[in-house]
Amino acid sequence: MAALVNATVLSRWLIALLMTIAAALGTTSTAPAETRDKLTIGITQFPSTLNPIIDSMLVKSYILAMARRQISIFGHDWEAMCQLCTELATFDNGRAEAFDGVDKAGKPTGEKGVRTRFTLRDDAFWGDGVPVTTRDIVFTWKVGKHPETGVADYRSFQDILDIEVHDEKSFTVVNRKLDYRYYAMSGFQPLPAHLEGKAFAVPKDYRNRTLYETDPTNPGLYNGPYRITEVVPGSHIVLSRNEQWRGAAPTFNEIRVRTIEKTAALEANLLSGAIDYIAGEAGLSLDQALAFEKRHGDDYDVVYKPGLIYEHLDLMLDNPVLADLRVRRALIQAIDRQAISDQLFAGKQPVAHSGVHPLDWTHSEEIRKYDYAPDKARALLDDAGWSDIRNGVRHNVAGEKLAFEIMTTAGNRVRELVEQVLQDYWKAVGIEVRIRNQPARVLFGETISKRKFSGLAMFAWLSAPESLPRTTLHSDFIPSPANSWAGQNYTGFNDPEMDRLIDAIEIELDRDKRGGLWKRVQQIYADRLPAIPLYFRADGFILPKWLKGIRPTGHMYTTTNWVEEWRVE
Amino acid sequence: MSLSTAQPGANPRSGGSTAWRRFRRHRLAVVSLWVLALLFAVVVSAPALEVMLGLDADAVNLFARMAPPGAAHWLGTDELGRDLLLRLLHGGRVSLLVGFTAAVAAAVIGATLGLISGYFGGRVDAIVMRFADGVISLPLLPLLIVLAAIDPGKLGLPEEISGSQSFSLYRIVVIIALVGWPTVARLVRAATLSLRQREFVLVALAQGFGPARIMFRHILPNTASPILVATTLTVGNVILFESVLSFLGLGIQPPMPSWGNMLTGAQDLISEAPALALWPGTLIFLTVISFNLLGDGLQAALDPRSRRVG
Amino acid sequence: MIGFILTRAAQSAFVLLVMSFIIYVLLGLMPGDPIDLMIGADPNVTAADIARLKALQGLDQPLLDRYGAWLANALEGDFGYSRLFSKPVLEVLRPRLLNSLILMAVSLALALMVAIPAGIHAARRPGSWTDQAINLLCFAGVSVPPFWLALLLILLFAVSLGALPASGMQTIGDGGLLDRIRYMILPILTLSAAGIAGYTRHTRAAMIEVLREDYIRTARAKGLAERRVVWRHALRNALLPVVTIAALDFGSLFSGALITETMFSWLGMGKTIYDAVMGNDYNLALVGLLLATGVTLIANILADIAYAWLDPRISYRVERGS
Repeated sequence: MAALVNATVLSRWLIALLMTIAAALGTTSTAPAETRDKLTIGITQFPSTLNPIIDSMLVKSYILAMARRQISIFGHDWEAMCQLCTELATFDNGRAEAFDGVDKAGKPTGEKGVRTRFTLRDDAFWGDGVPVTTRDIVFTWKVGKHPETGVADYRSFQDILDIEVHDEKSFTVVNRKLDYRYYAMSGFQPLPAHLEGKAFAVPKDYRNRTLYETDPTNPGLYNGPYRITEVVPGSHIVLSRNEQWRGAAPTFNEIRVRTIEKTAALEANLLSGAIDYIAGEAGLSLDQALAFEKRHGDDYDVVYKPGLIYEHLDLMLDNPVLADLRVRRALIQAIDRQAISDQLFAGKQPVAHSGVHPLDWTHSEEIRKYDYAPDKARALLDDAGWSDIRNGVRHNVAGEKLAFEIMTTAGNRVRELVEQVLQDYWKAVGIEVRIRNQPARVLFGETISKRKFSGLAMFAWLSAPESLPRTTLHSDFIPSPANSWAGQNYTGFNDPEMDRLIDAIEIELDRDKRGGLWKRVQQIYADRLPAIPLYFRADGFILPKWLKGIRPTGHMYTTTNWVEEWRVE
Repeated sequence: MSLSTAQPGANPRSGGSTAWRRFRRHRLAVVSLWVLALLFAVVVSAPALEVMLGLDADAVNLFARMAPPGAAHWLGTDELGRDLLLRLLHGGRVSLLVGFTAAVAAAVIGATLGLISGYFGGRVDAIVMRFADGVISLPLLPLLIVLAAIDPGKLGLPEEISGSQSFSLYRIVVIIALVGWPTVARLVRAATLSLRQREFVLVALAQGFGPARIMFRHILPNTASPILVATTLTVGNVILFESVLSFLGLGIQPPMPSWGNMLTGAQDLISEAPALALWPGTLIFLTVISFNLLGDGLQAALDPRSRRVG
Repeated sequence: MIGFILTRAAQSAFVLLVMSFIIYVLLGLMPGDPIDLMIGADPNVTAADIARLKALQGLDQPLLDRYGAWLANALEGDFGYSRLFSKPVLEVLRPRLLNSLILMAVSLALALMVAIPAGIHAARRPGSWTDQAINLLCFAGVSVPPFWLALLLILLFAVSLGALPASGMQTIGDGGLLDRIRYMILPILTLSAAGIAGYTRHTRAAMIEVLREDYIRTARAKGLAERRVVWRHALRNALLPVVTIAALDFGSLFSGALITETMFSWLGMGKTIYDAVMGNDYNLALVGLLLATGVTLIANILADIAYAWLDPRISYRVERGS
């Protein structure tokens, strides 16, 4: 074996190797495609499943929106709009009617239910030519409400009491509860009954046997402008034109979505021409996009869109120190959120004053706002009994130190930076804040969701427009062993008026009256401060100059829902 | 990703002065020793320098982010406007501390097990060495990831430890000690095997000293050379390893700076502020290579007959 | 010899069994389970949902029972489904195993092809300036943080020169041999850097030792050309330890290429195991780790066999290391 390795063999090998390298270096295929009939998008994550109703994940919605259409979504104006339906169901157009709810025994429950009638578009077809029909709607409902299929959010399927089929294309949904979102079917993603029926034969195995896993390139699974034609797990997904799509024809023959996890590598791929465009929804962090614009602004358009991603600090209200409103107000007045937004994010991320986004119609300006006022913070702390300053840290009469722990997702560089800035601000008014970060899995899987944090926790909520904060602010949703830790009211906020408002908003159909209730919700939030609002996170979209028509929405329905409008100029 | 790659080959202690002469002939090792000495001096004096310059390493200034080098900030500032020089020095303290503690911890465990194994022989020896073989043959990095990801609370650690800001530091030290000991154990065992037959040990045995005394008083001092060489090499490797763990988000956690997490944080902004990545990267490289060269020189000096392999 | 192999194989199987248990317990010690994670992500999950989903995935059972169930299934060849990929575990791992093996094999080959001539060159003139330069370069090679090296290579070859792809495994829609080779160059350079450094030093040390031996002196005395002495007579013996170490390394490289795989989006074992651990994918992490351990153990046995085969002086009735 060793004798084989002699000088001649070695040198021959080396020469061969060098020649290979030289040959490879000679052939550069990274030049951008001249014809531009293909688009390569870079994103930072690969979806764990392509089945639309199992697990919710941003990158999955991003990719699927090019290949699948839903009944209804939210548009650029943040209002609900139809995708597969012909029109929304309102009382005015006669498609909706209320009824009095009855329980199993037939006794009235006192709640109102609603029947909404929808019609599917005539030109909606699956990729194998089979039309999208009411059969698919009923099938999807059955899959979704079955307890064994492993659909996480099956409560909304359970809330549907019945689906009445009128013909191939029209049906009436009987909802248990009449709430303000009654007129649309957001989140309802029809599955092709003619293909998925077999996989659902054993509901327990549906998760693994769905064709979206076992045969993801089957054209019949898709009803959008594109269909998925190649899936290499962890690497890329290729979408090609769906021949059965009857809507506006998309520009590109093929869209390739590549997953590149490291943002530094993602940027390098863009600059080397291997990808054309970095998706704003799952791409560079804002400060990276800003830095990128500084250097390459001549070659690329960088578009920023503040979104419905609400960055905030949840405060553990069970902590007796934080239970004191004066301390909470001191915490927020001691930090200069405007300066953070301006200096770290070039002012692209608007400072938040409550959890409601300024672009949301329910947003109200008539709420208490906290400016940067360290002196007021000091006065508040003195007033709260934290007046004895030793070594720069406040103590109370009992000799206790004014100290908290702040937590966030380890490895999220931007949050870690902001955390250190905040720590420094609080130090200046005599509050000692210790940083203890955990990986996202630990933080969300255990520490926050089981309310094991003792001070402040920094994270974000991603939501749809006019989304009711029931699970985050209603006192029924404080996680505890009794409710198996369900709910997201991690702070333990318990305010009877807030509970009443949330219940009232849900069933208030009059928009003006609802607006008034929403205003009150925001006022209470800003007055009582269960959390410190920081800012609404913005996405940076990095587009080549020739790519037009991508309009960021700012909410959870991604730009890809309008992929047929993308064009080359 | 082996933590230490010293070769076995322990000889009884040779005269100190000849060793020093041999060491001085290894010019790169001498230079490394100076580099490390200088680095230590600077890093240790960081708090003094902080006072002297009237700066605070943790003081954030959002209005002076990524400033270029100047009179106020000799190396400029980082992405939060903190003085880069001071951050580097504090990071150096942490990186070196981790390197030393972990290497010494691994050496202590390894030396103890090696002594026991070599001295008692037989079944004890077989068990310890099989165990060492097992640890060496495991896929290290993935296992370390699992170790780094487990929940300290579920292990029953008290909250003061698992909740402290320095927890990530303890964690790295423990993990490296747990997987780094076999190298030293093998070296010490080999030395012990030969020393056990030597006259001075036999004399001590005849005098009726207990095994503990003989092991630690008579044999251990004579195994110092291989331990020293292996530990030196390990220090460098631990520093490198910390940077790798930082890259994976499992290293020293901010706000505590280490060269590893500074480098990792800077790579996202590499094109905007290359200096932020350049400095910690260079310091890691310089320190690690110095420790490796120093180890090489020590091995050549203390153990001239051994094959110089590193 | 066959008896030795059988004994080692049996020992390895036992180690694997013990490892499967240890890893299972370690994974159980990780915070939260997949369902806990889901609660954090989904606002509408209720207590009933959680109980339902946990029962569905068997997470409501005690750890030991779960291990028992897993082992029973595994012995029948059913390793379960990956949670992250919603596919049978082996189906996820098979292509990645192949990707890793390709990357490892080529890197190892490249490292040896560069290291052996370099080591010999250095060994023939110990103390010369070339020897010292090679020595310094070797130390530099093992002292660079690997992700840093990867980033520099990407910036240089992909961004500045535009000569090589920055990351990935193939051009989408291409996938020819030449295309794949272009994608392999940078990861292999990154991965072999440390290997080259290590093997050069091993070769050099072994070579110096061998060149002192009597039979080399005899060969020289007989008037054989120095080239022939070195390449024919000395190399064979000097390669012995190097081959052994390379075989041992192969195992650790196999799962240790995580950094390179992450930087270059190379779908290999290291990255898969890391993602599985981080994503609470018990089945995938467990089987991936066991596979990695298995490859390492096999490499160890091969190293022993190679050693015994190449060097008749060693008897393997007594185990290595004793």
